[in-house]
Amino acid sequence: MSHTGFLSLQATKRDSRTVVHGFYEGAFKFTRPVKLEDDSVSIYLIHVGGGYVEGDTYFTSIHLEEGAELSVTSQASTKVYKTLENPVEQKTTIRLAPSSILEYCLDPLIMYEGAKFLQETTVEMAGDSCFFYSDIVTPGWSEAGENFRYQWYRNKLKVIRDEKLVLFDHLLLEPDEDLEGVLQLEGYTHVGSFVIFHPEASRTFGDRLYEEVASFDLSVRLGISNMESGGIVVRLLGNKTQTLESVMDRIHTFARKELLKKEKITWRKY
Amino acid sequence: MTNELMPLLQLSDSQFPSGAFAHSFGFETYIQEDVVTDADSFKQALVVFLKKQLVYNDGLAFKLAMDCLEQGDRDYLMELDHLLFASCVSHETREGNRRVGARMAKLCQELYESLELRDYLNQIKEKTAYGHAALVFACVYQSLKISKEAALETFLFTNLSSLVQNAVRGIPIGQTDGQKILVDVHPVIKEAVHSIMNLSIEDLGAGSPGLEIAQMHHERLYVRLFMS
Repeated sequence: MSHTGFLSLQATKRDSRTVVHGFYEGAFKFTRPVKLEDDSVSIYLIHVGGGYVEGDTYFTSIHLEEGAELSVTSQASTKVYKTLENPVEQKTTIRLAPSSILEYCLDPLIMYEGAKFLQETTVEMAGDSCFFYSDIVTPGWSEAGENFRYQWYRNKLKVIRDEKLVLFDHLLLEPDEDLEGVLQLEGYTHVGSFVIFHPEASRTFGDRLYEEVASFDLSVRLGISNMESGGIVVRLLGNKTQTLESVMDRIHTFARKELLKKEKITWRKY
Repeated sequence: MTNELMPLLQLSDSQFPSGAFAHSFGFETYIQEDVVTDADSFKQALVVFLKKQLVYNDGLAFKLAMDCLEQGDRDYLMELDHLLFASCVSHETREGNRRVGARMAKLCQELYESLELRDYLNQIKEKTAYGHAALVFACVYQSLKISKEAALETFLFTNLSSLVQNAVRGIPIGQTDGQKILVDVHPVIKEAVHSIMNLSIEDLGAGSPGLEIAQMHHERLYVRLFMS
């Protein structure tokens, strides 16, 4: 089956640096690896069309070989437009070999009126590899001036570590009379997630992370808890992309410093 | 042949020692934050809990477990057990579900012994399964040949009834108000059963972000009546 966009990335450690190979087809592209200030290698994913439409299918594969270290982000937010019948589907598979580190931080996904979107991300990781993940979903502008005019948004993140399922994070947002109320979005419009898997991402680490970010921006409601054997999930609710991003930057910087002994990451986006 | 009404009555009795009375599954956070303050605000939260949480998690897992046991596929039960565990992102709530599940498995195997439950209990003991009440009840009701709809309706009602008892103690609200809420949600339970019957494993595990944050916050509350 041919996809609207297809992208495959492979990162290998050569001497002390990470080298990236790969190819892409259709609406997907990626930039040449960019070196950030602390010698980390970063890749920017690009969608060459104006946004995702009816029946689009996207597939991404990312494979880090032993010891490779890579940061992956998008170059701009992703816009999902009206889909009449078939939802937009985006699948991503990630494989992380021992001692590899992947930081996978996506820009917001904007759901416009009538949009249906299904995303499945599966991560298979070695016990001592490291995985950071972040995403944000927001409703798009609509002609009627109402926020929640999309059909549905479904995002599944599956993390399998040493062949054991350690996280199945499934978020389903279906605008109806309950979506904006208690237990669901509680008056907020944006949902963000930050997920960390690292052998040292313990409950104590989660407590310190909470201290670091809990009262940083009170317009954002967030919760932090831990999964078994080195996993942290942060869930955030907010009303602005910028405020969510600034809290998530702080989480990322803290996790980088504490777990990876690396400095704050500064993406170069335009 | 067991008379099918009596086990349903026994297993849904609020006096049945499932251990669920010790867990608020995030509701205590809403009580402390003054979001849930009286019978009305509690009922509103309870209805959403049923429609968005129980339908896609415990309720659907229960139905899928009954389906697979009916077909004699016990491997699938393990898959459901692992999905339920890994889809709960609050450590405390996950642990609460596991404890209630393990306890129920042991108790129910003593009361309504079956091959299905024996296997599941063994897997829990060997730590290849975590344990979840939804799957324990599915084993029991399936082995007693109780119809899926009746079993599912009872299972959902039992969950809500336990939360109502907690609300009576925790908010607090009057006993009569609590019972009125249970009557009011009858049609919503019927609708939930109908929705679940039309869902598949692709729908399993969908979480409600606000509730997840409330469950996470509960882990950091200073004074608590409930374990989750």
